[in-house]
Amino acid sequence: MSSDGENDEFLYEDEYDDAFDQDDEAEEIDSMSEPDVYDALSPAIEEAPQKKPYDVSWKVKTLQEITDMQNKEITKIQSVLEVPASSAAILLRHYVWNSEKLQEQFWNDPAAALEEAGLSPPSSPTTRTSALPPSPNKRSTRSLRAGPSTFLSKRTKSSASIGPFECPICCMEFDGPSVDVNTYSMGCEHRFCKDCWREYLVGKVKGEGESAKIQCMESGCGRIVREEVIDELVEKDVSKRYHNLLNAAFVADSSTLRWCPHPNCEYIIQCTQAPARMLNQIVPTVECKCGHDLCFGCGYAASHRPVLCKIVRLWEKKCADDSETANWLQANTKECTKCQSTIEKNGGCNHMTCKKCKWEFCWVCMGPWSEHGTAWYQCNRFDEKSGIDARDTQAKSRASLERYLHYFNRWANHEHSAKLDAEFYQKTEKKMEQMQNSGNLSWIEVQFAKQAVDVVIKARITLKWSYCMAFYLKRNNMTELFEDNQRDLERAVENLGYSLEQNISDTESIAKLRQDITNQAAYVQKRHDILMDDTLKGYLERRWEFSVDV
Amino acid sequence: MSNLAQARLHEERKQWRKDHPFGFFAKPVKAADGTLNIMLWEVGIPGKQGTIWDGGVYKVMMTFPDEFPTKPPKCKFDPPLFHPNVYPSGTICLSILDEEKNWKPSITIKQIVLGVQDLLDNPNIGDPAQIDAYQMYKNDKHGYERKVKQQAVERRPK
Repeated sequence: MSSDGENDEFLYEDEYDDAFDQDDEAEEIDSMSEPDVYDALSPAIEEAPQKKPYDVSWKVKTLQEITDMQNKEITKIQSVLEVPASSAAILLRHYVWNSEKLQEQFWNDPAAALEEAGLSPPSSPTTRTSALPPSPNKRSTRSLRAGPSTFLSKRTKSSASIGPFECPICCMEFDGPSVDVNTYSMGCEHRFCKDCWREYLVGKVKGEGESAKIQCMESGCGRIVREEVIDELVEKDVSKRYHNLLNAAFVADSSTLRWCPHPNCEYIIQCTQAPARMLNQIVPTVECKCGHDLCFGCGYAASHRPVLCKIVRLWEKKCADDSETANWLQANTKECTKCQSTIEKNGGCNHMTCKKCKWEFCWVCMGPWSEHGTAWYQCNRFDEKSGIDARDTQAKSRASLERYLHYFNRWANHEHSAKLDAEFYQKTEKKMEQMQNSGNLSWIEVQFAKQAVDVVIKARITLKWSYCMAFYLKRNNMTELFEDNQRDLERAVENLGYSLEQNISDTESIAKLRQDITNQAAYVQKRHDILMDDTLKGYLERRWEFSVDV
Repeated sequence: MSNLAQARLHEERKQWRKDHPFGFFAKPVKAADGTLNIMLWEVGIPGKQGTIWDGGVYKVMMTFPDEFPTKPPKCKFDPPLFHPNVYPSGTICLSILDEEKNWKPSITIKQIVLGVQDLLDNPNIGDPAQIDAYQMYKNDKHGYERKVKQQAVERRPK
């Protein structure tokens, strides 16, 4: 990727920033600050509000704002290039909203730029510079008034004013004024009846999910159907879907916008500080207005901090595909040295006879059995070179499988525990009620338990990802430090989890328990922040070395 | 069955009888009881003169879906053809026959058959559909030509 292209992108995003400056501040405050209802009670659990160097700022946009963003850009191009709004929109979509590139190409060769974007008929090269072919409505009225000599030749180019017209698709005939009412052609003058247009457009929008690239129905004609034409020809629901698809394409094409991945959430996140090339240094976790976290870098529907997007992808793939089955095969089976069949030894002596090729060999040294001479059932050829090699590879793959399982089990455990803890919420609520009743504590005074559960869940998710991280880290001193931090946090979390499950017997123990849990939660929070802070800063300082390329 | 599809196909039939390219044939299939099935056509495509396909007339079955002409017909060589862009089943891989690619409702049967005839001697090597013909075309041009010529002799109309 060239640096020029990226700079372009930044310039183009900055313009959006300006446009929404007014509501920026309000939104930023929203996303930065935590609900601070309970702060007075347990100040230790409060989250630090200042922005860290590895954090990104973002804005949550509504669909309407996304539409406004496009309209603003369209209006700009419309006035600069002096083209109708719908043409400006088609041009912008063709140039993937890169208005600089569009203007450059347009001023270079306007006709070519228009044709490339599907705005003038390829059959009739146009030399017009600023004026586009007239808008469809004007065209149809004008063609009505035009003399019979204007359009004649082609089958589909029949004029509205003369003679009967036969739709080349459904072969229906139209005559007189009904030609103008029931048929339609774009600037390319390929005329079809409106029923066929409707059928075609509905098929494209609803069936194929197309939006910006719907072309004229004539074969070989690349003219793009304008927005207003579609709105006029199809039903409300289809045109609504069409506009949704246009918006979706706009968001998908932009590197600084991303849909919130949570079900039924219609917000869009805008973030200019997390371009793809930065993703080896930052983990751009953002929070949508729907209350869920997501990763802006990869669209993961939760926070995967402190792990980089690429590592998460590798990890998920490793866990999902059957690469581990292959590892298991390698660790637990051997191959017949002659026919390469995979053999799992589940009992018996070391004198193996391959079921398939009848080859006899020794399971211990993998050498041919015939060489064993009279040393029946005990292999004394342990030092042979070939035998050592075969055993080495097996030991290595076994070690790698064990290593993976070590990290995977812990990763999966924390995920499982985090889920259980979420269920634990309800139990905690009941316990809180109990405390209110028996301990004469007020509602607000028992919130500490709920807060502690929150802290535990958050810490568990971070711990979970820390095991994924550790799996890919190279063994060095930095990794040792990382694992020390991880160990401290893990211990603190387990202790707190244990305390939370304690039964409450009398008033005195409640006070003690409350003190205990509040202290521990504060400690967990602190250990959590240290791990997170250190790891994320480590990326910026390029402290971490991975066994894979990031 | 859709009226639109039927109306269009009847009209196509009319146009074809009025005028069609030399050497081609295209007609709806007759059922056992003598009725015409307008949604299934039998088409004959001759190899272009001067090419290795010359001499043969290759039969294609065209199945028109109810959504025709919004959706393209399915075209299948019967029997399957030795050609890089024809699937082992006989189905033709051609962009104008693909709804997601270049199919447009205004494409006529005449345009389709001419497109298929053109494909015979101009295979699209970027989009292979069968291994045999593709690999022979790439690695053994002579063998490929011999096989195509032999096929042309086998498919000569009687």
